[in-house]
Amino acid sequence: MSVAELKERHAAAIEAVNDLRERLKQRRQQLLDADGHKLHSFSLLYYLAGYARSLGRSQVTFGPTDLVCCRTLQGHTGKVYSLDWTPERDRIVSASQDGRLIVWNAQTSQKTHAIKLPCAWVMTCAFSPTGQSVACGGLDGMCSIFNLNSATDRDGNLPVSVTLNGHKGYVSCCQYVPDEDIHIITSSGDQTCVLWDITTGLRTTVFGGEFQSGHTADVLSVSINGTNSRVFVSGSCDGTARLWDTRVASRAMRTFQGHEGDVNTLKFFPDGNRFGTGSDDGTCRLFDIRNGHQLQVYYQQHGDKEVPLVTSIAFSISGRLLFAGYSNGDCYVWDTLLARVVLNLGSVKNSHENRISCLGLSADGSSLCTGSWDTNLKIWAFGGHRKVI
Amino acid sequence: MPPPKEVAGFPSKENDEDQQYSFAVEYTGPPVTYDIPRAVPINVEKIPVAAVVSKVPLSNTELHIPVVPPILAPDRNKFSKELLLQPTVSPTSVIAFEERVSEDTNNCLLSGELSSYESGELAELIINNDSSSRGLAAVCSVSNEHSSKIDSCDSFDKSRGSSSRARISNDDDLNQADWGSNESVLSLDYPSSRVSSLKTGDCNNESNGDVRRPQVVTFRDIESEDGLDEDFSQDEVQAQVVRVKREPQTKGKKGSCYRCFKGNRFTEKEVCIVCDAKYCSNCVLRAMGSMPEGRKCVTCIGFPIDELKRGGLGKCSRMLKRLLNDLEVRQIMKAEKFCEANQLPPEYIFVNGQALSYEELAILQSCPNPPKKLKPGNYWYDKVSGLWGKEGQKPSKIISPHLNVGGSLRPDASNGNTQVFINGREITKVELRMLQLAGVQVAGNPHFWVNEDGSYQEEGQRNTKGYIWGKAGTKLVCAVLSLPVPSKSSNSCEEQLKSMTSRSVPDYLEQRTLQKILLVGSTGSGSSTIFKQAKILYKDVPFSEDERENIKLTIQTNVYGYLGILLEGRERFEEESLAEMRKRISSKETEPEGSSDGSDSKTIYSIGPRLKSFSDWLLKTMVSGNLEAIFPAATREYAPLVEELWKHAAIQETYNRRNELEMLPSVASYYLERVDEILKTDYEPSDLDILYAEGVTSSNGLACVDFSFPQSSPDENIDTAEQHDSLLRYQLIRVQARGFGENCKWLEMFEDVGMVIFCVSLSDYDQYSADGTNKMLLSKKFFETIVTHPTFEQMDFLLILNKFDIFEEKVERVPLTRCEWFDDFHPLISRHRTNTNSNSINNNPTLGQLGFHYVAVKFKRLYSSLTGRKLYVSHVKGLEPNSVDAALKFAREILKWDEERINFSLSEHSFYSTEASSFSH
Repeated sequence: MSVAELKERHAAAIEAVNDLRERLKQRRQQLLDADGHKLHSFSLLYYLAGYARSLGRSQVTFGPTDLVCCRTLQGHTGKVYSLDWTPERDRIVSASQDGRLIVWNAQTSQKTHAIKLPCAWVMTCAFSPTGQSVACGGLDGMCSIFNLNSATDRDGNLPVSVTLNGHKGYVSCCQYVPDEDIHIITSSGDQTCVLWDITTGLRTTVFGGEFQSGHTADVLSVSINGTNSRVFVSGSCDGTARLWDTRVASRAMRTFQGHEGDVNTLKFFPDGNRFGTGSDDGTCRLFDIRNGHQLQVYYQQHGDKEVPLVTSIAFSISGRLLFAGYSNGDCYVWDTLLARVVLNLGSVKNSHENRISCLGLSADGSSLCTGSWDTNLKIWAFGGHRKVI
Repeated sequence: MPPPKEVAGFPSKENDEDQQYSFAVEYTGPPVTYDIPRAVPINVEKIPVAAVVSKVPLSNTELHIPVVPPILAPDRNKFSKELLLQPTVSPTSVIAFEERVSEDTNNCLLSGELSSYESGELAELIINNDSSSRGLAAVCSVSNEHSSKIDSCDSFDKSRGSSSRARISNDDDLNQADWGSNESVLSLDYPSSRVSSLKTGDCNNESNGDVRRPQVVTFRDIESEDGLDEDFSQDEVQAQVVRVKREPQTKGKKGSCYRCFKGNRFTEKEVCIVCDAKYCSNCVLRAMGSMPEGRKCVTCIGFPIDELKRGGLGKCSRMLKRLLNDLEVRQIMKAEKFCEANQLPPEYIFVNGQALSYEELAILQSCPNPPKKLKPGNYWYDKVSGLWGKEGQKPSKIISPHLNVGGSLRPDASNGNTQVFINGREITKVELRMLQLAGVQVAGNPHFWVNEDGSYQEEGQRNTKGYIWGKAGTKLVCAVLSLPVPSKSSNSCEEQLKSMTSRSVPDYLEQRTLQKILLVGSTGSGSSTIFKQAKILYKDVPFSEDERENIKLTIQTNVYGYLGILLEGRERFEEESLAEMRKRISSKETEPEGSSDGSDSKTIYSIGPRLKSFSDWLLKTMVSGNLEAIFPAATREYAPLVEELWKHAAIQETYNRRNELEMLPSVASYYLERVDEILKTDYEPSDLDILYAEGVTSSNGLACVDFSFPQSSPDENIDTAEQHDSLLRYQLIRVQARGFGENCKWLEMFEDVGMVIFCVSLSDYDQYSADGTNKMLLSKKFFETIVTHPTFEQMDFLLILNKFDIFEEKVERVPLTRCEWFDDFHPLISRHRTNTNSNSINNNPTLGQLGFHYVAVKFKRLYSSLTGRKLYVSHVKGLEPNSVDAALKFAREILKWDEERINFSLSEHSFYSTEASSFSH
């Protein structure tokens, strides 16, 4: 069989797949319309809301001073692109376009490490579960890991301890697998996600890719299930989110349609049965991984102006609140249950002056950190006074 | 002191609600008494969805914090108490309000629930409250109305007194507890872990500080006369501030902390390196925030430091070490020493009567023998001998000579009166004495010419008369007269110059001088060739050993790839010729006397079984797509086989028909013809090999190279502009997107580049991509995407029309109109083309040049229709170094024009400031 022949067949197969995909999409739409699924889920939520009220609960309300900026982390000279908290201690790592990773002590707001990166175009960073090392990735297509305990070289720079090389596109997101320091999942512009073994520096599993039922465009984000670390979701420029099992590389367990733009960010819901997404279409959505249905849409009308993109999301520990950062500098706090905006951090005092590019909740859920293109990070905490009975 | 724990977090209020609100938790509670709405038979109309949801109140529910009830009584005393109650909700909210207020001092607009209380009085009250809490006596004077109530605010002691008096008077009040908590705010002794927005230090805070600057006190008289001065604008204050030296915002009692006003002069304190404010250990972290520029108040960030404190930069105090851990302290000290704002401002240093520029200062400080402890001031510098001293004084040091800093040395630089000159400077008496003791003939007021090694000659004479510092005794004499002697490190000047050119530029300067150029192009446009050319042109070591090793493997793998394509072609040709042969045979067989040698199925394309098996295996590997994985290792094994294969007549025959193999790139022949040499294990790729190689620059899409253009000629007179040029460094960033869609998200990372070079292959006009679209049209589409990308709104674009050499050759054969975008290309071609071709002196442009201009105009029109600006175009032959060099120099010129344009428009503004509006864009 010659190469040309194979190529032909490949092209034909791709066409067939695309056709099938289109039909699947239509069928899905039909089903949704037919059994009134949307109404169903709505009524369920309505019921939940009603039930909550019957117990004397009501919508979460925040006063303007309830969530206040209590720290500003200054030190970057470029746009902040990504941040991550340590699981236990109150440290934050942030990545910026000035080509540096900075590790902050969130309590004293001081820097403990400033790591100069070999490639300045960094897009993502992550703290390891033990807090011993940080990982970052960017346009160089590599995921670099720095051990925070290693000695600095002559110029005072921290050396790269491991380089994970193998992606054919930029590395858009990385997250450590929670249980140990040796596995990390990265997503990339080459349409794949990869599970790496850090000790060997090799790819353990590749999710997606040319001949597999993976994403059909750049993968922008991954999130690992907090309760079952074998499961993760990925969001992509093809407007879908996919659910993967790390033991099954061949195909995605589920594909979640619904967004009308690139899925920029996604995060698992704390209970591990749902996940939230944020997209270029300006909406956040909540999907259920068990039945594959969309549960809720979070969208704020913006008049006829340009719709701001969702850049980053995070859930509160209980899951009741969804924090979403937008490209216009807004940061909404959503009531996940009622899909109402509780507070806009972009309108309170001391808010960021530019796009909020990343946000993250500390492990104990007590504070929120936002990173922005105005080069600063801010830590927000509950500043109000509430009677705890 | 873990703040997040102490500050009740989100979960604290959610914990109890957590279970109920979770979405799909099974209900395990007691049986419900009411009917659970079933989801099955839903009547759409019956669900009052929107209505019910919308009834849920947005705010002001019982969950909420003590909301201030509407105030009815106009009683001011009560009013103030109520208001003070509000801030006591948390210390942070106090500060938050205060900041909001101080942002626009008198026109206070509180958002949220408090917006109903929008009034000047409120603002004043809060200022009052806040200022008393911080002892901001100055601002208190703004609120003169209330100064009677909370007694005078002229001095902090008094205001403190007043607040405590207020508390006492309110002892029996119901609100006593609130006052108490308020007092805790006042004294600021709430745990440091409490949230404090003082750390925020953004512009609000800065203006905040400005308002409280003591200069504001000058406004007091006016303000106390006519109450709130509505015209009291921040800009005014700010303008004042910029000129004057920053001073601490507040002054408490002598020796106390500037923030909490506690302690005395003996308590340990940290000092702001800008405004000299002193903070005790409780306050220092809050007053200085995250210290991005070292120990500065949040409000002082970005301001130059107090020069008196320069010596202390990077020297940590015990207090800071106690408060923070080692790593944190190290980062602060590093930031303090190296951040740009803390560097010596070059405009304060005059050398030979000329203020330095950033670059000159960098030269001065990074030379092998720099003047130590440089302080602002006037200096003279003798470039020939390296003598350095303060203006009007004897030399204090001998620094590296030949540094291109400052103006020219003046005769009276050291204010000498001895009539003896060294390098054109009249020397001082002390120096004369030294010269005499060193045995130099100084009779007759000679003019000496002294070099950096101490050799001297009289002006107008050639022969060296001796060495000043040659004698052992001279150095002793110099020490006695406190005159400098050359340091040992200053060796030959050649070496110094060399070290100068290779010196590293400090970090903060790098940002300033690095000009980034983005190079984009679709696959096959030759952008990687240009990138490689730039590396070879401007780098001393274009490729490191590792890189060369990788390149070698890539080239070898590529060669196997080309071979594979050839073998595939061979198979095809063999089948074809076999079929033809069979046809011929069958046609022959119809003839009666046909010879039956059909058994011999050998054609010219056939190969032996051994080579055949190798060929099959190679093709299989290629199809499975892991050619790269196998070949680097297998090279040695198969090299002889490949050589044999290549020499085989069948392959050669196939190779002769290579123009029928569209998969085979044109560069393949370059390598295939040298296949035996390339596949040797000790093969070293030459620069040209690397240039031709495909896939050498990182396939991941991004590669960048830092370079500076070499000085055009070494013996040319180096004027200052040239010198600065050598500091100007460029970074060429090449990106290759895999699929260019609308999803060029990463493009926004390149908004700081100076210009974009877009690369298009001219010879693409008759090429088609796999899905049948013209490659030139694909390039056009990609060009449109890039130039209209919001990130590049004001960016300059240089279009490089690459592969001009191939184009020139091709356009003669294949008409340009093959591409539908170019269908109106009707060049005026002279009838006597043969003539024009034969002598190039003739001015008639060739068809290639005509074609290039036509395409360039096409792109220019497209560009200006999209952006309304001008596109720069250059044609390049990627494989010719001079051509790429010219294009990149053109790019540099564009960047320079850009800067000049900015400067020009700036100066225009300053000269014609009155007419600025008419000039504005």
